[in-house]
Amino acid sequence: MPLAQYFRLVDIQARMLLKADASKFTLGYLWWFIEPMLWVAMFYVVFNVILDSPRSGPDFLVFLATGKLAFIWFSKTVNQASNSIVASHGLVARINVPKSLFPMSAVQESCYKQITIYALLAVILWFFGYTPTSKWLWMVPVVLVFYLMIVACSLIGAFLVCMLRDFAKVIPLGMTFLLFSSGIFWDVREIGDPEKIDIVLTVNPMAYMLDAHRQVLMYGNAPDLNHLLQIALGSIFLVIVMIGLMRRYSQLLALKVLT
Amino acid sequence: MSGQNESGRSVMLELDQVTLNYQSSKGTFDDGVHHVLDRVSLQLYENETLGIIGRNGVGKTTTLRIMAGILAPTSGSVSIRPGKTASLLSLGLGFKNDLSGRDNAMLAAMLQGASKKLAKTYLESIKEFSELGDSFEEPVKTYSSGMRSRLGFTTALMTHVDILLIDEVLSVGDAQFKQKAQAAMKERIQGEQTVVFVSHSDAQIQSLCDRVIWLESGKVCAQGEVGSVLQEYRESINRASLA
Repeated sequence: MPLAQYFRLVDIQARMLLKADASKFTLGYLWWFIEPMLWVAMFYVVFNVILDSPRSGPDFLVFLATGKLAFIWFSKTVNQASNSIVASHGLVARINVPKSLFPMSAVQESCYKQITIYALLAVILWFFGYTPTSKWLWMVPVVLVFYLMIVACSLIGAFLVCMLRDFAKVIPLGMTFLLFSSGIFWDVREIGDPEKIDIVLTVNPMAYMLDAHRQVLMYGNAPDLNHLLQIALGSIFLVIVMIGLMRRYSQLLALKVLT
Repeated sequence: MSGQNESGRSVMLELDQVTLNYQSSKGTFDDGVHHVLDRVSLQLYENETLGIIGRNGVGKTTTLRIMAGILAPTSGSVSIRPGKTASLLSLGLGFKNDLSGRDNAMLAAMLQGASKKLAKTYLESIKEFSELGDSFEEPVKTYSSGMRSRLGFTTALMTHVDILLIDEVLSVGDAQFKQKAQAAMKERIQGEQTVVFVSHSDAQIQSLCDRVIWLESGKVCAQGEVGSVLQEYRESINRASLA
């Protein structure tokens, strides 16, 4: 399949999925805003009203919202992309298509949704006094690298679920583990031992990415470009390997999906 | 690929000693290995309509999927003339349930290589021929099985493929549409179209096919002229039901 046709198909499939998804619910596209708003509202109730700790306050709410609304992009995409080839068994049974088309469409679909979520995040930040500055331009490389990470993990997830359906159970659990281990509800930088901070940020790219979001948006600090580049290169390497595997084993994947 | 056989007709697609096994869940017979096809060899000639008959579960659909390049044989080889495309038309599958009939038709056409512009030009004729009316804009999950087959059949009919692989789609739908579909199929077959046709209907096989292959337990049991192979097949079924 020519590359141009491939990308056209990724995009058109993503748009169709968005339309179909919105038409399932009475509130349709409004859910793109409502869902992240509800997350923030939930954080407010739990951390500012119920747990009335010294940390509570608008700053902590912004801290939570930034982490969670970035993380949501990763977790939702990877969960959905992982099941995308299996969910497309109807098409897989009928046409020999590049299997990466399905996870890539899922990635593209959530990209469109994430635009509204980032916009909402910007509004929240502004509302609580974090005025946009030119430093926010650092978000461009951060978001780009985060995207590469999402693509890599989505392709891996989709491949694994095809080969062994049991991974469909493991991947959501993995997401929950990441939710708790990547510093969404706590600040990586508050770990006492500086060496340990380094280890957490190196071993868990997710913790690094979420911290980078906050450093740029809340404190106006530039991200560690060297670290960012390493994550980007690692992700690109994985994407190339996974696309290669999916091409090489396209028909085996079809057999696995159909049997 | 040989290109031409003794009778001078050119080969579009050839299966040579194709075997397909797959590993299913543990605890079944033979260590969970299913043998679907066992050394199947066949040739498909340009512009012919080849029928495949056989009872349920003998590997007819799998044969079509291998021809379409969707599955790869465990051993043996499949060769298709370079640059030719094959597409499989089968019931119940091939749709994304949440998408409308229009979106599904668009997607199918584009997946078969049509540009967005070309795919769009197909859509109105697909809507018209399938007689789906307003349902064309509704999600496919709301369709009856007859409506699904109308959409599937029409989508394949309208988009251009070199080899059309048809899996029992002419056998559903109401009488009126069935007649219309068969007439359209006949017209297509008489033109420059290579077709492989799986059906349980003797009448359809007889009226549409030039040649027929009988599959039994993953093997080619007989192949050749339509009348004689069909007769052999019927006799074997009668013997089996008497025994």
